[in-house]
Amino acid sequence: MNRFVVALFGTVVLAQDARQIVEEVQKRSRSKSQKYEGTLEVIDQRNKVSTKRWEYARLGAFGESRSVLRFTSPPEVKGVALLVHNHPDRSSDQWMWRPAIERDQRIALQDRSTRFFGTDFSYEDLEERDVNQFDFKVLGEESIDGVACWKLESRPREKKVSQYLYSHVWVRKDHYVYAQIEAFNKTGLARKIKYSDVQNVQGLWTSKVVEVFDVAKKSRTVLKFEKLQYNLTIDADLFTLQALRRAS
Amino acid sequence: MILLRLISWQYVRKHKLRWLLTLAGIIIGVAVFVGMHTANQSVLAAFQETINRIAGSTQLQVTAGEAGFPEEALEIAQNSPDVRVAVPVIEASVNSGLKGQGNLLLLGVDMTGDRSLRDYDLENQDDDAIEDPLVFLAQPDSLLITRSFATATGLKFGAKFPMETMAGKREFTVRGIMKSGGLASAFGGNLAVMDIYAAQKMLGRGRRFDRIDIAVKEGVRVEEAQPRLQAALGAGYLVESPGARGQQFESTAQIYSLVSSVTSMFALFVGMFLIYNTFEIAVTQRRNEIGILRALGATRKQIRVLFLGESVVAGLAGSVLGIFFGLLMARGIAAYVGAMLSEVYGVAQRADEVTADPWLLAAALIVGTVTSILAAIVPARDASRVDPVKALQKGRQQMIGEGENRTRRIGAVVALALAFGCMSLARIRPLFYLGYLLAVTAAVLLAPTACNIITRALRPLLKWIRPVEGALAADSLIQAPRRTSGTVTALMLSLALVISLGGIARSSYESIQKWLVVALNPDLFVTTSESLTSRSFVFPAEIGEGMRTIPEVETVQMVRTVRVNVRNKPVMLVSVDLESIATKVHLPPREGDEKTMYRDAAQGKGVVVSDNFALLHGYKMGDIVELPVPGGVLPMPVLGIVTDYSDQQGSILIDRSVYIEHWKDTTVNVFRLYLRNRADEPIVRKKIQEMYGGQTRLFVFTNQDLRAYILKLTDQWFSLTYVQIAVAVLVAILGIVNTLTVSISDRKRELGVLQAVGGLRNQIRGTIWIEAVAIGLTGLIMGLVVGAVQLYYTLEISRSDVVGLRLEYSYPFGIAAALVPVILGAALISAIGPAEAAVRGSLVEALEYE
Repeated sequence: MNRFVVALFGTVVLAQDARQIVEEVQKRSRSKSQKYEGTLEVIDQRNKVSTKRWEYARLGAFGESRSVLRFTSPPEVKGVALLVHNHPDRSSDQWMWRPAIERDQRIALQDRSTRFFGTDFSYEDLEERDVNQFDFKVLGEESIDGVACWKLESRPREKKVSQYLYSHVWVRKDHYVYAQIEAFNKTGLARKIKYSDVQNVQGLWTSKVVEVFDVAKKSRTVLKFEKLQYNLTIDADLFTLQALRRAS
Repeated sequence: MILLRLISWQYVRKHKLRWLLTLAGIIIGVAVFVGMHTANQSVLAAFQETINRIAGSTQLQVTAGEAGFPEEALEIAQNSPDVRVAVPVIEASVNSGLKGQGNLLLLGVDMTGDRSLRDYDLENQDDDAIEDPLVFLAQPDSLLITRSFATATGLKFGAKFPMETMAGKREFTVRGIMKSGGLASAFGGNLAVMDIYAAQKMLGRGRRFDRIDIAVKEGVRVEEAQPRLQAALGAGYLVESPGARGQQFESTAQIYSLVSSVTSMFALFVGMFLIYNTFEIAVTQRRNEIGILRALGATRKQIRVLFLGESVVAGLAGSVLGIFFGLLMARGIAAYVGAMLSEVYGVAQRADEVTADPWLLAAALIVGTVTSILAAIVPARDASRVDPVKALQKGRQQMIGEGENRTRRIGAVVALALAFGCMSLARIRPLFYLGYLLAVTAAVLLAPTACNIITRALRPLLKWIRPVEGALAADSLIQAPRRTSGTVTALMLSLALVISLGGIARSSYESIQKWLVVALNPDLFVTTSESLTSRSFVFPAEIGEGMRTIPEVETVQMVRTVRVNVRNKPVMLVSVDLESIATKVHLPPREGDEKTMYRDAAQGKGVVVSDNFALLHGYKMGDIVELPVPGGVLPMPVLGIVTDYSDQQGSILIDRSVYIEHWKDTTVNVFRLYLRNRADEPIVRKKIQEMYGGQTRLFVFTNQDLRAYILKLTDQWFSLTYVQIAVAVLVAILGIVNTLTVSISDRKRELGVLQAVGGLRNQIRGTIWIEAVAIGLTGLIMGLVVGAVQLYYTLEISRSDVVGLRLEYSYPFGIAAALVPVILGAALISAIGPAEAAVRGSLVEALEYE
């Protein structure tokens, strides 16, 4: 009996710890806005590389943010944009804008598991991971690339529509930033996301290289952040469909 | 079996040509039956195949008629708790513009979610076969084509080819190639996939989809999800399985199916008379043989079974050959049917492979054999009744007994009386058809008597033309009614069919031409397609507003035509400014007040329907037509019934304002332009081309062009009728050749005697020629008379049960006149072979008996 109570208590403590860890991650990376220019390299299983560039801007923080991502090169894709409105209590709203046909298109929830424009990210991977939308537990401690990490398990809560059943998340103990995520769907490991080149930008520890592996397709996408800035003043009107149309 | 081998087979071997000619009736009938139905089924199967291949793992489809529906419906479907995936689709058949490739089925899909339903099976097994999915989406010229289309056209990855779009001529780029098989096999491989939003732009569809393809969530049963989704979307939407769309197509093409069935059945019916004739002659010729068999102890039943056995063998042989030729014909017919359905109904389809349905082939075998058995029943009965003593005597075997003739005449009178009775009760359709059958039966029963009367009447004329040959020929026909009556009956029925078909074609032409003058009276028509039946592309209404600014243009009428389902039948909804129509077009009203019906309909108080719609679907003045609109049902009372030939299934005229309000669709298929001065046609045409030619896909037709086009479509439809006429004439000619061949062998001794007593070869020839012409003439007279009755029934069937068109009775005197030289010429040509055989035969052999 006593052993059961201890075990139960221990689990609760660990769960609380896990949540605290992720809350700390969010707290340390919190900024009221963000902007960067990204380079995206998609490397297929035959090592063929295609490169694109985009500009990214976000306003607001976890659970209440809005972001816009706009491709800038190559010329054939310039102007294609993705607008994301994140919500604390449900899945985000997403719209795609295509200047060539001057059309916005809502990305339906059912389509969030599909690949984002041929990259190894899915639309869902571009959403924020707000602590309140997941349940966490600590699985243990492991090193990633020689850095000590907590290994956590996160499971989406009922209201969060997700393609993943659960994820394993590694959080660096030194700066409370993500080191690696392994996302599992009903068939097993679907994606592996690695965060590297961690730098301090305006007081916020940030990973400047994110690499995604699509396990099934055996391809990977590398996203590199440049000209990264936090806490700028950005007009909220930029994060509307009207702004997308105007910009084109 | 032994008798068949020892007696029948020897007889067949001796009269190979005659049997072949006899079998020709069954062969043609079965070949037409198999050919037309196989072609028809192949086209329908190809359509179903295309639906299935495109559907992928789609379990339900949401549609709202041809006009499509606003995009908002997609969110309703996607938010349904039963739905796992709901993806929008636009499907259109467009001219590829590539030499020899014809139409391309363009499938507009949302590439983000569509792969959950359809396997694009790309050549490189991954997305990279679409070189860059982002570029594919970002560039509206992106196309995914099939390997077979790429091979046929020589298009490679990255290749460009132009297509006419609603935004003018645009170059499209091949950005992906699908492997053959699966989805890539749909529409015979002439398939291209593009982004749905780009397709909307290309086709001028605005923010509308044609349908939504749906897969339900795991654990949800489709039959449970269907009503819930239907309720969520509203009554104007149709939620059904993908297979149900095939049924709609079948319903659209049902008139064609009916016509092909009638043609083949008629060919078999006429073929039955040929077989009957041959067996009757065989019984007559083999009287001695039958007499000997009876004298040797053969029972009546054995004789009857012997002849019926022969008919079974003949039926089977004819049917097998018919099936063989039918399958050979099917491919050509399928191509024709595909093209016709595309032109006449605007439903594109390709049937590249013809597949024979085993059930159809079995049915053909049974129908052919049963026809042969039915035809042989009476001759077999006659054979079994042959008295062995009389049979071994000579003479008078060709006469039909007076008793038999009287029975036939009484039967004919009774059938005729009953047919008249049924005519007065024609509203009860089974009675009407019974009356039709009785009328044909009466004609068939009266045929020998009529044949005899006409031949006797012709005798003085024939004798006057050629005293010896004419008299001999006439006497030969009078004395051998069994030999000729079957052929004359077959000829009569064939020609009656020709007259009725020709009559219906003539009536239709006259009616359509009258309607063209009244309904299609604008000076110019501006359309999106060379084919006026294609509704894949649509104009934005602004173009019409622009054309109104041309000073020479007096009025622009904007027309949007879409097919909608009323009582589960696809009918044509024509939306147009009805007040404007009322001032310019005066469609003859069948019911209702012309002055008020359009005014009230323009105010949204109801609809004006075509006469054929009312007849086919059973609507009367004041009845409520329930029109499915996106989001509900629009009940509209019938305010007037007018004569309108816009569509074979019937048309409903609705005011454009009502259409826009309920369908949320402002697009236009056709602009009807009335000019201030008709002479300005070339100027206005040029101005329209200058204003819009470069920006949009656009075709300007003059009134004359359009009329010629519609008459071409009418011709195309009636080309089936011409096939029927050809079959009828062919069967008729076969009958004459058959009879003459029989006649020569039957009269070998008589002709031998004639030659022996000094008859010249030319006299023999002349006798046979005159006999042939006399048979032709007799059949012709009877056929032209019975044709008049047949035409009445055909028009009635067409009016009440097929297309609902009230066609005026108009006897095709032109066709009747044309038939005279055709049939007499054919008869004369048919006589050449038998006549030469007669004069070149061995005199010794001919007189052997003497």
